[in-house]
Amino acid sequence: MAVVELDKVSKRYGDVVAVQDFNLTTSDGEFVVLVGPSGCGKTTTMRMIAGLELITQGSIKIGGRDVAGMIPRERDVAMVFQNYALFPHMNVFGNMAFGLRLRKLPKAQIENQVQRAAKILGIENLLNRKPKELSGGQRQRVALGRAIVREPQVFLMDEPLSNIDAKLRVEMRGEIIKLQRRLGVTTFYVTHDQVEAMSMGDRVVVMLDGRIQQVGTPRELYRKPTNRYVAGFIGSPAMNFVRAHVGEDGTVSAGDDFRLFPPGSVMEGVRKLGLAEVWVGVRPEHLKIRREGEPASKNVIRGTVEVVEPQGSTTLIQLNACGDLRVNALLEEQLEPAVGARLDLWVGDDAVYVFNPGTDERIQ
Amino acid sequence: MLIACAGAVWVIIPFLWAINNSLKTHADIFKPHAIIPFLQFTPTLDAWNFVLGDPQVLNCLFSSTLVSVGTTLLVLLIGTPAAYSLARFEFRRMKSRDITLWFLSQRVLPPVVVLVPFYILLAQLGLVDTWTGLILLYSTFNLAFCVVIMRDIFRDVSKEVEEAARIEGASLWQIFWMIALPLSLDGLIVTAFIVFAFSWNEALFASAVTSQHAATMPAFILASRSTRGVDFNFAAVNTILAIAPPVILSFFVQRYLARGLSFGAVKG
Repeated sequence: MAVVELDKVSKRYGDVVAVQDFNLTTSDGEFVVLVGPSGCGKTTTMRMIAGLELITQGSIKIGGRDVAGMIPRERDVAMVFQNYALFPHMNVFGNMAFGLRLRKLPKAQIENQVQRAAKILGIENLLNRKPKELSGGQRQRVALGRAIVREPQVFLMDEPLSNIDAKLRVEMRGEIIKLQRRLGVTTFYVTHDQVEAMSMGDRVVVMLDGRIQQVGTPRELYRKPTNRYVAGFIGSPAMNFVRAHVGEDGTVSAGDDFRLFPPGSVMEGVRKLGLAEVWVGVRPEHLKIRREGEPASKNVIRGTVEVVEPQGSTTLIQLNACGDLRVNALLEEQLEPAVGARLDLWVGDDAVYVFNPGTDERIQ
Repeated sequence: MLIACAGAVWVIIPFLWAINNSLKTHADIFKPHAIIPFLQFTPTLDAWNFVLGDPQVLNCLFSSTLVSVGTTLLVLLIGTPAAYSLARFEFRRMKSRDITLWFLSQRVLPPVVVLVPFYILLAQLGLVDTWTGLILLYSTFNLAFCVVIMRDIFRDVSKEVEEAARIEGASLWQIFWMIALPLSLDGLIVTAFIVFAFSWNEALFASAVTSQHAATMPAFILASRSTRGVDFNFAAVNTILAIAPPVILSFFVQRYLARGLSFGAVKG
């Protein structure tokens, strides 16, 4: 268990910047998820913490010790790899005991620790098998077992669930969270799946092009994204973005069928920046149908239904507004409007996000 | 199928000829009026008895074994770490790919070209007609082969597995010994076998730099002409003796050969 501090950590390969000014201090036992598209630097960041990659600039401290010049062994971290990276020529016991044997621990203690870790993960009966005799889920457990058996200060997990089928993934997700809570070990978890990031992390770090876009709890990222990228990345289906004119009357509109009133404070910000056009963002799940007879909301999105995707308890529809705008709406009702039907949607004021088109930052 | 059969016959006839002749007397080999020379003779083990009773033959067999095994061990000892470092690390002055290519270029050179220089070198070192001299000589040729093949095989070992070992606390040597080498065992066995066979079969240099003490079987066979011309029955026995060890060995390594000879293209 340890606090991990990354201070202005950068990594360059020649002229290519992989990670730039990564600042983050974890609390002890925190579960931090690094999320972003492939090539955003999340894995590189993790490998720098592990010591598999040297840092170009900045400093990394684990438990107060500066580990920049240390080899992985001295850092006391454990890593779970995307493709498990088990030692194929050793059985499960050998895999889990590998690190302990290298540390020349007494045999009885190794046996003890491996048994205990195996019990936690429910793989006691697999200890004599070779990795190739295991299923994907079992291999995953062994990889986790190898990580926890040494009781390291930090866990590093590099997309550990991406090779497992969807059903098992949800199950393992829960298990990893439980395991982490139980052991209380500071954990870095890399994924490109925002759902995984949102459901697992105490805090989530959203990265793009080697830079941190935002750090926050899942709720903060969802409610208060700092920029258009984070807003679009977090949440599924993704937020709708519409380029809209700023009106004199405090509206943002892209035609008669798309006219929204963002909160007054936001419009004040827009006026201060002197913007004539902005990006407007609305989450599909915040859109509601205006039923007949209900009073018209001032926030109007009107259009014809183009695609209907029933998803069980919810229905995803794609609306065509103002001729060329596509707006997705996730409706809670199990209703299936006919394709081609006209539909009136509305949204609450505080669910309308406005972004500066020059910087893509959210205007608050 | 037909072509395969034809190929098999083509390859096997010299062996049959050797076995056949080894069971004949000198007179039977040159029997002028035999209608079916392959069958019309009285089988005898005289040639075998004579050859196996000759201390010079036994000495040559011993030399061959010692030199081949010695070469194989030396080549693997030096070659595998070199191959591993070329597979995993980049060096400052030269790309490891270029270094590998340089190694490979050593195999392109016709061996005869360096025959005389090597002889002079060995003579100056006082290593002519010694086992040590031959082992050093053969290692020079086979090292390149070992490095090139083993580099390819090591490159197929999953990098992540090695990184996992590193995180678990293994040093580079420990990774090499405990991870890379065991995972490349198939390739290592095949490489060892090929180096062994090369050294065992080498005749040109063996004839040139040995005479009595360190002469190997191929050198002995090349030199085995008596005053009566070639004694075909003795030559046949010698040939079989010379061929046997690599052939027998190849049965044991057969299951690795097919995989190994694809030069690491298929993961072992």
